[in-house]
This record gives sequence, C-alpha cells and structure tokens, in this order.
Amino acid sequence: MKAVLSVALGVIAAIGGFVDIGDLVFNAQAGSSVGTPALWAVPVGVLGIMIFAEMSGRIVAVSNKPNFVLVKERYGRNLSTFTLVASLVLTVLTLGAELGGLGFALNYFFDVSVNFFVLVALLAVAAAMYFLPFGGLERVFGYLGLALLVYLAASIKLDPDWGEIGRGFVPESHGAAVYWYFIVGLVAAALMPYEIYFYSSGAVEEGWDERDMKVNRANAFIGFGLGGLISVAILVASAQVLKPAGISAESVGTVALVSEVPYGETGLILAFIGILFAVGGATIDTAFSAAYNLAQHQGWKWGKRFRLLNEPRFTLSLVGFLLLGFAIAQTGVDPISLTEYAVIFSIPVLPLTYLPILLVGNDASVMGKHVNGPVNRVLGWGYFGLICLLAVAAPVLFLWTNGGG
Amino acid sequence: MQPEELARSIGTLESTAAEGALLADDVARDRTKATFARVHARELGETVDHEAEKLNDAEAEPKGGVAPAKVRAIELADRISAELGRIQIAPDSETEGRAAEESLNRLSERAGQLAEGL
Repeated sequence: MKAVLSVALGVIAAIGGFVDIGDLVFNAQAGSSVGTPALWAVPVGVLGIMIFAEMSGRIVAVSNKPNFVLVKERYGRNLSTFTLVASLVLTVLTLGAELGGLGFALNYFFDVSVNFFVLVALLAVAAAMYFLPFGGLERVFGYLGLALLVYLAASIKLDPDWGEIGRGFVPESHGAAVYWYFIVGLVAAALMPYEIYFYSSGAVEEGWDERDMKVNRANAFIGFGLGGLISVAILVASAQVLKPAGISAESVGTVALVSEVPYGETGLILAFIGILFAVGGATIDTAFSAAYNLAQHQGWKWGKRFRLLNEPRFTLSLVGFLLLGFAIAQTGVDPISLTEYAVIFSIPVLPLTYLPILLVGNDASVMGKHVNGPVNRVLGWGYFGLICLLAVAAPVLFLWTNGGG
Repeated sequence: MQPEELARSIGTLESTAAEGALLADDVARDRTKATFARVHARELGETVDHEAEKLNDAEAEPKGGVAPAKVRAIELADRISAELGRIQIAPDSETEGRAAEESLNRLSERAGQLAEGL
C-alpha cells in the first residue's frame, strides 16, 4: 500500500513539474501551426526525460548525490561554475515566465491587472513553499494539476482522425524550417534542465535509498508518461480546434479556449484550474531548483526537509530567486515569448546538465550492482548525442524561423 | 516594407480575427465566463492595435509596392479591433456575441484573401 501511495505521489508530482508554461504553450503552438505531424516529438522528449530522471533517481538512491553535486565533482571549478551560471539564468527566466503565466491566468477570472496577480501568485507560492511539507506541495499542486486531463477528454470528444494521429507518431522528412523548429522545441520542452535538478534533489528530500528503486522507476516512467499524455492531448486538441481556423496559439487564453470549444464553461474552468496548479507547481520546482543548484555548488546545507529558518543561506537564495522571477514578470514581458526563449536557449545547456548523470550512471565503482545496463547505456548515449545535435540546431532554427513565426 | 513582412502582419490579423470569432461564438451560445471573454477580447484587441501601429509606421513604396495592401490591412485591423470591442463591452450579450462572430469570421476571410493577393 505504501509503495502504491509513493507511486501515486510520483505520478502527481510529475504533473506539477512536467507540464509547465513552456509545455502548454509549445504543444498548443505546435498543434495550431504544424498539427498532428509534430506528435512524434513528444514521446521522443518524454522517453529522454524518463531515462535521465530514472538514472538520476537511481544515483541518489545509491550515493545520495543530487545532480549538481555530480556536476561539481565531474567538471571541476570553472566548468561547474559556468554550468551553474547558465542553469541559474535559464531557471530564473523560466521562473519569471511561470509567475507571469500565473498572473495572466488569474486575471482572466478577476480582471484586475496582470501585475497585481503576479504579486498574488508570488505570495501564494511563497506561503505554500513555507507552510506545506515537501510531500504536501507535490500532492496539492499535482492533484489539482490533473484537471489538465480535460484536454485528453477534449481531444477525444472532438472526434479526431485516429489514422492521422497514428501517422503523427511516425517521424517524417520535412523541408519546412518551422516544422523542425517545433520538433526541436517540443523535445526541448520535455527536457528542460530544471526538471532533472528538481527530480534528483527531490529524491534526496524524500530520503530515497536502494529500497526505493521500484518507486523511482514508477515515478520516472508512469509520472512523466502521464505528463507526456497530457502534452499529446493538448497538441491534438489544438490541432483540431485552432489549426483549421487558422488560429495561432499566442496566449494562455488561447490554450484555455481549446477546451472551452467542446465543453463550454466547465471545460474553461477545468483548463484554468489545471493550468494554475501545473504552472504553480512548476513555479515551485524552478524556484527550488535554482536554490538547490546554488547550495549544492557552494556546499551549503540545503533542503525543505530541514526547517527553512535553520538554513539562512539556502532560504535567502530561495527568496532571492523568487524575487528575481517576480521582477522579471513585473517588467510586463510576455511570458509566452519569455518561455519560448527559455526553452530554445536552454538547449545549449542540456549537454552540460545530462553528461554527469550518464557518466556516474555508467560508473560501476559508484553504482555497484545498480550501474547502467546495456540498454540504458545505449539509450543514454543515444539521447546525449541527440541533445548535442539539438544544442546546435535550436538557436539556428530559432533565428531562421523568426521564433517559429 | 517587403511583401513577406506585410503577409506576416496580415496573418496575425487573420488569426486574431478567427480567434475572436471563436470566442464570440461561445459568448453567443452562453458557453463562456463573461470575465474571461472580456479580458481575452481585450488582449486580442491589443494585438490587433499593435499590428495596426506597426503597419502604419512601416514605410512602403507608394507605386508598384505594397502600399495599397498596407492601407487595406490597416482598415481591416481597425474593423477587427472594433468587433473585438463589442465582446469586451458586452461579454454576456448573446446578440452582440452573434453579431461579432459573423463580422469577425468575414474579416478573417478578407485578411486571408488580402494575404493571398500579395
């Protein structure tokens, strides 16, 4: 029963951390612009995050070392500092986008001002981070984030062409740069670095050891799989509602409108509940990830499992990152554009994030009997090669297609 | 202003008008929250106004260039913005919603035709 409950917690935790503002927007934009032929990119990205999340969870269970400790140990001072700065810049940009997204989502219901609701969101998120235990954060934001399953129901109710959807999962050669821009973006949105930082640090927070290998696998495969299913559903529903009408998804409101078409007001409310809690969960994940990375790099005591007031440096950095994200959101920058930049320009940082996991996962002297098997090695190196390829292609495609426009 | 830049701008108008029509249809059928309809219509209106400003500021060759199409695009933007304003003002009026939906669908089609003619 305890194992089942742990898996359930992992499933809902993955919803909060996986379907963030970047995933919501990129999936809706891909559906409205390219349509179902872009579907295959989602499982490619989801399988990648599953493999590396499982590996990083296994490393924590064996060695109790989260990802940024591995970065520091494997890279030496200069490269680890560069990786820290790059990851912090991108994570804080993403945090700003998430807070901005929350401000927009709340304003759709109360019509005061986006900036006011960014402040409300900041205070609500900070209160949740302070008062709720780590498991409580996962449960509240994960359970309510499941409202996004309305997109799965919507994509079925809209009566799609199932043959076309099936063909969408088969990669095809394509000459249009915009198509490849969205393929790269969809893969990258699934592999955002903060997800892996949060996952491995979260495993330390939850005190995983070698007895938790099954829970780790279930978290990685079922949890991220469910997140991937929601991503697919958003893309399919957007392809059915927006693409035929020639509508480009440019705002959170457009993403919500997709579920209003089949289900009316109920669909709209469920979509916004899901968006609020999934993006709220992602806000918490990004803020913690930034503070975890800094603390792990600097060798500070860190973690929600201790009382935050007993860890002044970790807690101050957490507050500082939240305020930086808030300042970015308050500039009035469009969170959708911000998240597009964050997704695309996170790709060059991906190899630096994922290489240490692969090296330690393959290292029998650290991992013992839990070292990567042949399948994990092949998939791990295969994905690392893909990530390196994306790191080169992403900025080029972004400039070439004018950001997919 | 180059034809492809103008086409991109008109594409934004076409897409925004189509989205406005979708929203207006939900207003007409009482299938949405009034606050959402108002805020989203305002957002769409701001997008169109911004596009109209960009079009107005862009320089186009008066003869043999895209200047005539640019003027028509600005006129279209103005009309799309006005229709979105109807939803914003009366987001709970089914009559206004129906009227806005029909107009916005027509304007979206016209924008599409204008872009095709470039």
